[in-house]
Amino acid sequence: MAANDRRRKKRAALSRPALVLGGLALVLAVLIVVFFSDGTEEKVKRFIDANVPKPAEAGGGAGPAAASRTVTLFFLADADDLLHKEARDIAAGPTAADEAERALAELVKGSERGLVSPLPAQTKVRQVFIGADGLATVDLSREFAEGFAYGSTAELAAVYAVVDTLVFNFAPVKRVVILVEGAEKETLGGHVDLTRAFLPDYSLVAR
Amino acid sequence: MKSRTHRRALPAVLTLAVLAVAAAGPALRAGQAAPAPRVQTIVIDPGHGGLETGAKGALGNLEKDITLAIGLKLKALVERNLGLAVFMTRDRDVDVSNENRAAIANNHKAGLFISIHANGSVQRKAAGSETFFLSLNATDEETRRLAYLENNSSELQTRIDPSTEDDLMMILWDMAQTAYIKQSGRLAELVQTELDAMLGTRNRGIKQAPFKVLTGVACPAILVEAAFISNPDEERKLASDAFQSRVAEAIYRGLVRFIRAGE
Ligand SMILES: [Zn+2]
Repeated sequence: MAANDRRRKKRAALSRPALVLGGLALVLAVLIVVFFSDGTEEKVKRFIDANVPKPAEAGGGAGPAAASRTVTLFFLADADDLLHKEARDIAAGPTAADEAERALAELVKGSERGLVSPLPAQTKVRQVFIGADGLATVDLSREFAEGFAYGSTAELAAVYAVVDTLVFNFAPVKRVVILVEGAEKETLGGHVDLTRAFLPDYSLVAR
Repeated sequence: MKSRTHRRALPAVLTLAVLAVAAAGPALRAGQAAPAPRVQTIVIDPGHGGLETGAKGALGNLEKDITLAIGLKLKALVERNLGLAVFMTRDRDVDVSNENRAAIANNHKAGLFISIHANGSVQRKAAGSETFFLSLNATDEETRRLAYLENNSSELQTRIDPSTEDDLMMILWDMAQTAYIKQSGRLAELVQTELDAMLGTRNRGIKQAPFKVLTGVACPAILVEAAFISNPDEERKLASDAFQSRVAEAIYRGLVRFIRAGE
């Protein structure tokens, strides 16, 4: 019994430094992954979003009131077929990418003032990722490409409504790449080149 | 994944290629009297085709059919009146990739590239004619890369291996239009003026946009949107032989003025 105890103690004494080392290595590995791997931050955030229960959304009343912010969306008007600004309140935070996803979802949902959304109504916003270099990558569902038989004007309106909404509202975003269903697509309907990043083009926006 | 990394590397290589060609150009021409090259070949690009129908009209007309009809009329006009060689990116209802459309122009050493389309909007009221040329949409990143490459141009020459076959050809297409933006703008202006004079449609003017089919074309290049197929009134016009002929005639007059101005 005594010998057994001693042996167990000895094993415990041996494994403690190993544990500490192991722990340190793990922390280091996580730090490396978080700081040096593109997109991981976003994945971690998504993991947390998915697994940590959130406080009730606005309307629940309990706790600090859910903050909101106003964004500017771009819709088409019949009178001049330019993009027109429309203000919309969305839930704020926690990240600019979260807000950008909500803003684009509102853009799809459409105008509250009788204007027309330039995006097919069935489009889903799969993800927005904002890189440190100011490049926002927007991943939209396949309906974005398939919802319309696009002509040039429709394609330009759809693309620049997305690009302008992001650059206009979110300071870290300087340019935008659009993916469809997670993959690069050459064009929506044969016209506008989606393989390069877009700068905003406010010439399509009414003054 | 493999194709993605390949794609990533491509823009840098393309820039190298374009700069190499730009650097070699003046040296090659130094001994000659260096007149502006005369236009000897025109490439006409009827938009869409095959499974890719383009925009659709409420009455059932397809953009791809209208663009082909106008394109063939334009070809006949140019051949009959100017005696220039004309090549079509397609002369029947087939799929042609945007890359191949540019490649056809460059392989035939086109002096002008005319892409013909019928417009579509989500709004039925949208109407009128407009002519596009390429917008550069250059980002800071690309500007920095160009600056870097300009300072390291000897490296360029060695990186461009003439024995490389198809890849190099495709590389040369990709950013070629950047060298012709100004002339393309002038061509757009002249064609748009004639469209406005001949069609009686709303004049939407000339515009710049990042259209894929124009990026790789190594000559003055425009994309004409004759009228809106999504507008029932204009769809009826676009489907009529008379209107198609007027569109072809207007484009023809615009490019004649462009060619004459360059002589
Ligand atoms: Zn088209």
